[in-house]
Amino acid sequence: MCLGIPGRIVSMRDDAGLAMGMVDFGGIRREVCLAYVADQVQPDDYVVVHVGFAISKVDEDEARRTFEALRNMSQLDELEWMAEVANRSLETMKSAEP
Amino acid sequence: MGAATLGATLSCALPLGPGDRIQLGHGSGGKLSAALLKHCFLPHLGNPTLAQLGDGAVVSVEAGEIVVSTDSFVVSPLVFPGGDIGSLAVHGSLNDLAMMGAEPRWLTAGFIIEEGLLLAELTRIVQSMGDAARAAGVPVITGDTKVVERGKGDGLFINTTGIGVRYSRARPAPDRARPGDAVLVSGPIGRHGMAIMAARGSLGFEGALESDSACLWPMVRGLVDLLGEELHVLRDPTRGGVASALNEIAAASGVGVVLQDGLLPIPEAVNAACEMLGLDPLYVANEGMFVAFCPHALAAEALRTLRAHPLGEQAAVVGRVVADHPGFVVLETALGTQRVVDLLPGDQLPRIC
Amino acid sequence: MKYLSEYRDPALARALVRRIRHTASRPWVLMEVCGGQTHTIVKQGLDQVLDGAVELIHGPGCPVCVTPLEQIDRALAIASRPEVIFCSFGDMLRVPGSECDLLQIRARGGQIRVVYSPLDAVEIARSTPDREVVFFAVGFETTAPANAMAVWRAHQLGLTNFSLLVSHVTVPPAMTALLDSPDNRVQGFLAAGHVCTVMGWTEYEPIAARYRVPIVVTGFEPLDLLEGIAMAVTQLEEGRAEVENQYVRAVRREGTILARQQVEEVFQLVDRKWRGIGTIPQSGLGLRPEFALFDAERRFGVLDLRQEESSECRAGDVLRGRLKPAQCPAFGTRCTPERPLGAPMVSSEGACAAYYQFGRLRQTAGAGA
Repeated sequence: MCLGIPGRIVSMRDDAGLAMGMVDFGGIRREVCLAYVADQVQPDDYVVVHVGFAISKVDEDEARRTFEALRNMSQLDELEWMAEVANRSLETMKSAEP
Repeated sequence: MGAATLGATLSCALPLGPGDRIQLGHGSGGKLSAALLKHCFLPHLGNPTLAQLGDGAVVSVEAGEIVVSTDSFVVSPLVFPGGDIGSLAVHGSLNDLAMMGAEPRWLTAGFIIEEGLLLAELTRIVQSMGDAARAAGVPVITGDTKVVERGKGDGLFINTTGIGVRYSRARPAPDRARPGDAVLVSGPIGRHGMAIMAARGSLGFEGALESDSACLWPMVRGLVDLLGEELHVLRDPTRGGVASALNEIAAASGVGVVLQDGLLPIPEAVNAACEMLGLDPLYVANEGMFVAFCPHALAAEALRTLRAHPLGEQAAVVGRVVADHPGFVVLETALGTQRVVDLLPGDQLPRIC
Repeated sequence: MKYLSEYRDPALARALVRRIRHTASRPWVLMEVCGGQTHTIVKQGLDQVLDGAVELIHGPGCPVCVTPLEQIDRALAIASRPEVIFCSFGDMLRVPGSECDLLQIRARGGQIRVVYSPLDAVEIARSTPDREVVFFAVGFETTAPANAMAVWRAHQLGLTNFSLLVSHVTVPPAMTALLDSPDNRVQGFLAAGHVCTVMGWTEYEPIAARYRVPIVVTGFEPLDLLEGIAMAVTQLEEGRAEVENQYVRAVRREGTILARQQVEEVFQLVDRKWRGIGTIPQSGLGLRPEFALFDAERRFGVLDLRQEESSECRAGDVLRGRLKPAQCPAFGTRCTPERPLGAPMVSSEGACAAYYQFGRLRQTAGAGA
């Protein structure tokens, strides 16, 4: 549930025992509490931020891998789809012949 | 007139130091008022007409229709990235005239100042107004100043009235949209509202959000010169954003408007801020762009005209007018589905959960 | 925006839609639990493009919508007190109580502040020691770590003027309640991606096994939802009933351990009443006794309020997925965002609000759009 936006950690600091960081969201920056991911992250990592808290680190490798898989599926699918459309057109033309 | 207090008549009127604050006496018409005019307003807004300090200003126009528009400005904070209440007040009224197809000629300015406002802040705002008015070539020819007790005003309120002359036969109006019209925007959307929200500080955002407050007349004049009466509608989407403006036009004209997802120019920072708060850029206020409706066949040329201006570099065709679903604005998603872009009941609330 | 915008690619979306249509041998019924997912589905018309292949039922995934009326009234009573600065997320402001809402209280002089983060409310408490600062802690498990940290921080700073009005609910008990209901039609679930980011997905494994339903942890962008749906449909076609993870870039099986630990420390499971559904045992979070000082309910003793639900409001049926908002007789006529009969029409995560804002044309479209 709820808005979680990915952002890039710009800097990290300690605020009287609370791990905080400045996170960049496409040009906007905001202070974010990093307490829950402090043991996993460093500057330039991406985190998912919800109401001012990083709730997890973005697994960039997984993201890349699955996105590639999606793109491959799509290209394959596009070819199949185009072939299907071509076949249908062919059949339509054939059935229209006298 | 503001209350004239004993303190006001006893205070030293000159000179006014920057750490000084506005007192009730500055609105009372006496020495303090005169000093304020002399040292704060006239240096920055000054022109021969204003300098006469008459009860009113006399102007004359060549033949033609006179167009008048008034607007009050209550923005908080008073100063924000990209402008302040002063430049906003100038641009706002100039743009109202421009949206009527009228060439702005003169401005009036009324100030309601809260006792305690720092003189330095007021001066900065007045200077900004002067700069904006001069850049637009439109003098402030008459004005008024009142001061209200501390706690009775949010620092400063400004009213400006713009007076212009109808320029050419163009008669853009909200009820003139026709099926087959193209919908254009002159530039990116969402900048002003998000800049104000960020400037309020309570959301903790930093960086890259600036108001787009600007005078639109030069771009409008180019369009009017090109299209004349074929410029059907002009509208600057302030409060309520592009969505509200288009809804009003669709309702007034009895037509449907179809927007294409992905064609609206939205700056990355605006997008990011909206994402974080769950806001839709379509509903965010603008102060430096406008929507225009013209026949589809003329859209390409209109676009070229807009893009020739520095403020119009990102002008785009974003939709079309249809006879279907009159009064409704509909958005076509990239998937080909449609959704209604409705008027919002009230202020857009940041969506968190 | 990186890791966000790519998941809106229209070409990939179309490919996924084709894939789903190609895979589904019959119309399957899926439920997405989370309001954020409902929002994307209705906004992008995903249910429209999948019409015939998949029926999407919208679940009770809006914590605002399921907050009981008496809790809203409690909030309004507390917010009306002159010594209180009442802080909340923005979307609570127009939720109607029995008589009014927070916006109206603000108009009457109540101190209401919209904050982005619960830590902002703690900061307000710290800087205004002469005021009572109350934060309306509404949410699912996603927001619990933030609220837990707020309490922890207030405790650490020795603040005595900060408290939470808690209305936290948890997802798994709601899912089982729905699955136990005799007229349940849901065959597979899209689990809430950000709830699972925090909690992981171990709690869903016994549910998938016991009820034989596929559960796919899914994100919020169009590609996420379509991919999640594709995975669920594939499972259904293959007769599998497992927990799978679509939202791999954010979710791990164990979730975010430090967050879960903090929640455990500050909160405990309690029975909670879900508006429109009823009490579901052990489905909510309440502050542990050692943090009673930070519990606004105890601090302000506003109990025993009279509630009047609109008899016409069908929120319960909508939240349980029995009724589509447009099928409600009051939808768009006697119930609108301006004059809502219930919370799902006001909260921007609510199904009724989503349908009203984006989907109204579908009803009128039949008349020849």
